[in-house]
Amino acid sequence: MAPRISFPDAPLGRWGVPDPSGVAPEIKAARRRLRAVAFAMTNVDPVTTELVRMRNATFQQCVL
Amino acid sequence: MTWLPDVPDGDTDWDRVAALAPDLFASIAEVVDTTWDHVDPVLLELARLRIATLLEHAGELSRRSTRAAEAGLTETKVAALPRWPTSSEFSDGERACLALTEQFVLDANGVTDEAVDEVTAHLGAAGCYVFVEAVSVLETFQRTCLTLGISTLPSVDRLVGSIASGAEEQG
Repeated sequence: MAPRISFPDAPLGRWGVPDPSGVAPEIKAARRRLRAVAFAMTNVDPVTTELVRMRNATFQQCVL
Repeated sequence: MTWLPDVPDGDTDWDRVAALAPDLFASIAEVVDTTWDHVDPVLLELARLRIATLLEHAGELSRRSTRAAEAGLTETKVAALPRWPTSSEFSDGERACLALTEQFVLDANGVTDEAVDEVTAHLGAAGCYVFVEAVSVLETFQRTCLTLGISTLPSVDRLVGSIASGAEEQG
């Protein structure tokens, strides 16, 4: 699948496609902080967290 | 009212549940806050209200963004939102954004190249990217609130403003 929005000058991300998150670095940073806080919480064990993540990816048909 | 047990007192369900995990909820609020800084407030308010309608989130529907009102969004236009495909209240750009928003909420896999192209034609590539980010944030926020039974929330501006004032206090 090719990205729908063209960002020819964007650096390539970890999956080899242009990463446009530099367009709004503040949003990227805020999302990163949220992810860090969520993963640092120990209320849900990592196995359940991973199962939920993979199940959600299946529902969303997200092959990445 | 939230179904969560043993929540402390607070002005709203949001305040009460947020007290259980303040760091997490502060981070959620920060993400929401940040999106409002990057998108036309009228477009984002229209998207927010449309998401709330689709998700049947009464608490979100009762709130209003002062930023959007100050930027020109009227209650007449908000009242016409269910008729956005045909109402003369809406511009072509707003229709494109609302179409993308609806499809994103109903089934993101159903978003078409054409729908993205329409938004990009009005907002540009960067604008489209940020708008999709913002819709994603607002949809997640509303689904989180619905799941946790958070039916009463601070005003849109208070949620946004509380983060800014907190940052100032810390700085």
